[in-house]
Amino acid sequence: MIEIAIEKELLGSHGKMPLHVTLSIEDKSFVALSGQSGSGKTTLLRILAGLENARGTIRVDGEEWLNEKYMLAPQQRGIGFVFQDYALFPNMSVIENLLFVRQDKALAQHLLKLIEMDELAQRKPNTLSGGQKQRVSLCRAMMNHPKLLLMDEPLSALDPLMRTKLQHEILTLHKEFETTTIMVSHDPSEIYRLSNRVIVLNQGNVIQDGDAKSVLLKTQGSQKFSFEGELLDIIKVDVIYVAIVSIGQQIVEVVLDESEARELHVGSVVNISTKAFAPVIQTSKR
Amino acid sequence: MNRLSAIVTRIEGEQNLHIISFDFQGVPLSMMGLDLPFGLEIGSHVILGAKPSHIAIAKELQGVLSYSNQLEAKILRIENGTLLCSILLHVKGIALQSFITRRSSERMGLVEGENVTVLIKASELFVLEVLDV
Repeated sequence: MIEIAIEKELLGSHGKMPLHVTLSIEDKSFVALSGQSGSGKTTLLRILAGLENARGTIRVDGEEWLNEKYMLAPQQRGIGFVFQDYALFPNMSVIENLLFVRQDKALAQHLLKLIEMDELAQRKPNTLSGGQKQRVSLCRAMMNHPKLLLMDEPLSALDPLMRTKLQHEILTLHKEFETTTIMVSHDPSEIYRLSNRVIVLNQGNVIQDGDAKSVLLKTQGSQKFSFEGELLDIIKVDVIYVAIVSIGQQIVEVVLDESEARELHVGSVVNISTKAFAPVIQTSKR
Repeated sequence: MNRLSAIVTRIEGEQNLHIISFDFQGVPLSMMGLDLPFGLEIGSHVILGAKPSHIAIAKELQGVLSYSNQLEAKILRIENGTLLCSILLHVKGIALQSFITRRSSERMGLVEGENVTVLIKASELFVLEVLDV
């Protein structure tokens, strides 16, 4: 069990912003930490890792990592940290990067085998792809059997295909080692696939805390198929109106009646929703 | 968008699938949905929604239909386009709009002032808003 009750004053984009987080995290859980940039996610990870100080307490399995008088050094906390930019030693081979953390050859080989990297053990990091480098960082973070694995947007620099592959590997490692994990992520599919709890920070405060579906599913009344977009145009066709809306990288059309067409303003942010029964789903042709 | 003010009278559930029944001015209505909208319970006052393109019209209705929602209505106004037709209906003191093809309107010989039946499938009726949450 990890018990966190910390406070720290941060300098946000709108001036001073207090980070104020009180959380209990169960052993073996996989927590996704989400929220807009500048909401305090990375600072929270750094405080947990001992890379930054804060007021308050952090207690892990009864052991004090932080209290009013004391701050346990990062290397004594038993933490694995995976950064977005890999942070591997370029002059060491894959296996040397792992053994640098702990001289446990059997564990290093086991980890590399789990994520299908055992054949690349002697390679230097600069001969690896981004996805391969991140798999090595992940294994390295697991080398000292961490009590807590912290990952700061570990997959955000990777292409979608590689992301999916690494999500499966993170899941494989989590199942095998059952390491309590906190991962910063913005990707709904990643959060849904990996986490059993999602915490959303906003302006330094926890604003949502629940399972992936209850936090991420955007609903409007009984409408389960809901998106936010920008209203680009409204065109009258025969006796109906057609709204053109941009959602993500796509343009969609929605039929309106006259009163809706009158009330909506081109350029505004709109919510498009329908019941879960209406959409048709097919394998993408692309 | 059509809006009907109604009261929740019954909730039946099977895992996260639900059938919710409503009372709309003495007329029973029902819809199917997944997880219940936040705050919805028996006795809740809700605003139901239905798109004009999801409202069918029947005249001199006979036989039995699977439509869960059948409301007696009067045609207030018919606006003909080239292909489509917008029909304004009066149901229990409120106005509902239906889009049907002009061909259907002509085939049925719909005229203003006429009594018809409005039909809405349970999968197409939805909760727009739960009031007093």
